[in-house]
Amino acid sequence: MGSPMRSKMNNPTDFEIELERIDQDLAELKGRALTIPTDGETATRFVYRLYQRASLTGDFAELAVVETAINSAIRQTGHAADLYFLKAHLDFKFHRLARVRHDLEMGPGLRDSFQGRALAADLDFQEGRYEEARKGYEGVIRDDPTWDDLARLAYLKAKMGDEAGAEQLYLEAEDELTAKQMRHYAWVELQRGVLDLTHGRYEDAWAHYQQADRAYSGYWLVAEHKAELLGAQGKFDEAAALYQQVMARVPRPEFQQALGELYGLMGERERAEPWHEQALAAYLESAGRGEVHYYHHLADFYSDVREDGREAVKWARKDLELRKNFSTQAALAWALYRDGQFAAARDAMNQALSSGVRDAHLFYQAALIHQSVGEADESRQYLQIAAEINPRYQNFHVHR
Amino acid sequence: MADHNDPNAVNSIFSDIDVSAADLYDLFGFPSDDPAGGEKVVIALTFASVPAAGVFDTDMLYRIQISAEPRVARPAKDDHSLKALLRYFETLKDKYLGPLQASEIRVTVDQSNRATVKFINFPGGSFSTVVETNRVLTIDSPDGQAIKAFIGGRDDAFFNDLTGFFRSINYAPQFYHVPHTMAGARELPIPKTLLELEGNDLFNFDPNDPEWGYHGVKRALPPGPLAWNGDKFRKDAQGNFRFVYDGRDCQAGKNVNAIILEIPLAFITRSPEQDRVVNTWGESWVLKAANKVETIPDHPFWLEHPLVLLDAFTLDAELKRYKLVDTDGQPFADAALSEREDNRQLGANNFWLAPHFIKRLAHLGWGFGPSISALGLATSFDHDDSPVSVHKTYSLVTEAFPRVRKTLFQELNMPDDSWNKKGLQIPLRRPVEIFIPNVCAIDLDTTGTWPFGRRLEDQVATRFLSMFLDMEAEFNGRKYHIELLNDQSLWDQAPIEPKTPPNPLKNDKEFLAHFPYLADPW
Repeated sequence: MGSPMRSKMNNPTDFEIELERIDQDLAELKGRALTIPTDGETATRFVYRLYQRASLTGDFAELAVVETAINSAIRQTGHAADLYFLKAHLDFKFHRLARVRHDLEMGPGLRDSFQGRALAADLDFQEGRYEEARKGYEGVIRDDPTWDDLARLAYLKAKMGDEAGAEQLYLEAEDELTAKQMRHYAWVELQRGVLDLTHGRYEDAWAHYQQADRAYSGYWLVAEHKAELLGAQGKFDEAAALYQQVMARVPRPEFQQALGELYGLMGERERAEPWHEQALAAYLESAGRGEVHYYHHLADFYSDVREDGREAVKWARKDLELRKNFSTQAALAWALYRDGQFAAARDAMNQALSSGVRDAHLFYQAALIHQSVGEADESRQYLQIAAEINPRYQNFHVHR
Repeated sequence: MADHNDPNAVNSIFSDIDVSAADLYDLFGFPSDDPAGGEKVVIALTFASVPAAGVFDTDMLYRIQISAEPRVARPAKDDHSLKALLRYFETLKDKYLGPLQASEIRVTVDQSNRATVKFINFPGGSFSTVVETNRVLTIDSPDGQAIKAFIGGRDDAFFNDLTGFFRSINYAPQFYHVPHTMAGARELPIPKTLLELEGNDLFNFDPNDPEWGYHGVKRALPPGPLAWNGDKFRKDAQGNFRFVYDGRDCQAGKNVNAIILEIPLAFITRSPEQDRVVNTWGESWVLKAANKVETIPDHPFWLEHPLVLLDAFTLDAELKRYKLVDTDGQPFADAALSEREDNRQLGANNFWLAPHFIKRLAHLGWGFGPSISALGLATSFDHDDSPVSVHKTYSLVTEAFPRVRKTLFQELNMPDDSWNKKGLQIPLRRPVEIFIPNVCAIDLDTTGTWPFGRRLEDQVATRFLSMFLDMEAEFNGRKYHIELLNDQSLWDQAPIEPKTPPNPLKNDKEFLAHFPYLADPW
């Protein structure tokens, strides 16, 4: 298999071309962006380009640098709404939800802007206010129907089991996108692929991932999705090779964990362990720096890789303190199950499922938890639902 | 859940597209002065020269629609009621959504900068050809008509004080860095005006910073309040008002890309003797992302057979692959008269926004009307003798209509009879007919000067303002007319500084006397 992150004929990929363009912009702006007297528009453009670059490369360390630049720009230019909006996005990315709310209030008029309303709906979703989130998305779509807001609502619908509604919205989002927005289009194609993957339609998912690749070549995010799908299909060697390529560009711990789990499935524990060690070390380093965005992965890692219930519960509770949603509630349930606290696990899982979420993997976990407390009927019922949603729910998958 | 999965986490928060080849600038249309080969009409669609003058964006499709019809005689006794106006809009709706099928010309350009030009639904049928860009060409239609074409870079033929116009409507992005997240802070809630308002420091000319608002010179948007609380026009020590315009040409030295055609009338209609008015409007479309993936280079068939007949079914499928971005018919139809400033897709079908048009016109009238009165001129807008411009918006068209009745229905006088080159009984045009539908309606029996079309040399920005003048009034013994505000003697007598017509009187480069008429690019 050739590398999907390199073009044929050694021509630069779309990813490389965009990165180079951003770097050129940054080089041009660097000298004057944050010098005093600061021009607000230049400073905003500069930090926005920094943010774009960090997002594109998927590098959290770069994002930390962006944060410093944003804070500096805000200090020098005053309370610029766009800068606070960038800051809000950055905080959202790092799961600092209380700060997101604060950022939205700081930018003049930001909270009521279309962009601010969409982000506020994201907050509602993350904090388990699903109905408010839905209304928020629908409201902003009514007033300003943009592709990204359509995709936001699609994601909510997908999680809540309205697969047809989600697909329709993703299609509408794609219809909004033009030839000038190919990376955005590729991203929506990935979401459509995930929708298929989580319902066990691997060939359809692959078609979407291929389409994403054709639309925007050389993107590690596409390769990473493909690697997961190959793993789900049992093509472990190909999946592992692809993960290695992804990590050569984006050495993130969640990918290291995924590769370790792949090797585990292949029965190669010795090859798995170094990746698990690296992933865990990176998660813990991040948490040690006071960052919170890997709490969820830590809970997941201790539950499924180390099967260390006590540690898993510790991180799951920390995450739940920040975000009370079906995902964090289910993570805690699974951690409690690993810790042998079966009744508590059942209660937490019931709370997660009461949200209306329709996720095969969660129903599978719910089945095991209910079985552990002797509720065989519920267990059977949940297994059946899991299979209805995705007949291949036990195959390899990663946490998204 | 959504840990790293929100759309903007991996994508752009703000638009990356600063200048777009989809941005249509102007549509010119007039009868050709060249008598050779019979009557012909010149149509020129201009747009942003992106990526460069003479180089085209291969993701774009440009569309020029054309519909010829007889000139309609106006009844002797006209009904100027709101009911009659709405009936007029209904008629247009039936016409443009009903049996009318406009002919059209579509242009796309490939990677080698060769243009595919498709002529669709003309009386002689449909055909397509592939031509070189940046060259004057003659395209021969299957029925033997010779169509002149130029698709390439030219000098921007528009000449106006755009900054002055934006100052008149208090359009913040021309003067300030307006954050992307402050979409509401564009046209600020300050009275629109032709004369500066006392204390309107957000927009008034600053002698210490005379280039502010020009050439991209902007300031940081102040924290607020973004409003004005004064009650009079600004006057200097000599008692002169300060004009928001200074007459300079903001488009000087700028290029455009253009599609310029000189088309025999006999190609456009089977009845050239009856169909004396050619309506035309332009559109820009951008390829949808999904279709970009599937795009393959132009099929060799097109290249090997440059003149091929088209299949209508295929053509509809072609347009579905694109997304409409911008339309252009009448100058200022979107920038000034569209209440929804973000909606630039209002072409010939803008009648559905007709009620907004009336409300917007009244909103503008409350700004420009008192300015005109303050200068001692008569206005067509009923502003109750307000001594100063007023910021007023309407939610009900029934309230707005009485204010703009005269502005809408008055005939726009021409400065002389030269426009009516054959001396025929051609009614003068009225704003209501000019702007709805949003098309350039070229009268073949006139010179095609605005509003009977649009010639390159027309100062349309100033002529647009003239509709707020009362065309029944007189200046120096002559009825007001659409060129009055271009008359230097008027400004010499007016209590105003600077003493200049609002916009430049001519283009920065001489137009050509022959096709393609627009001057060479800079």
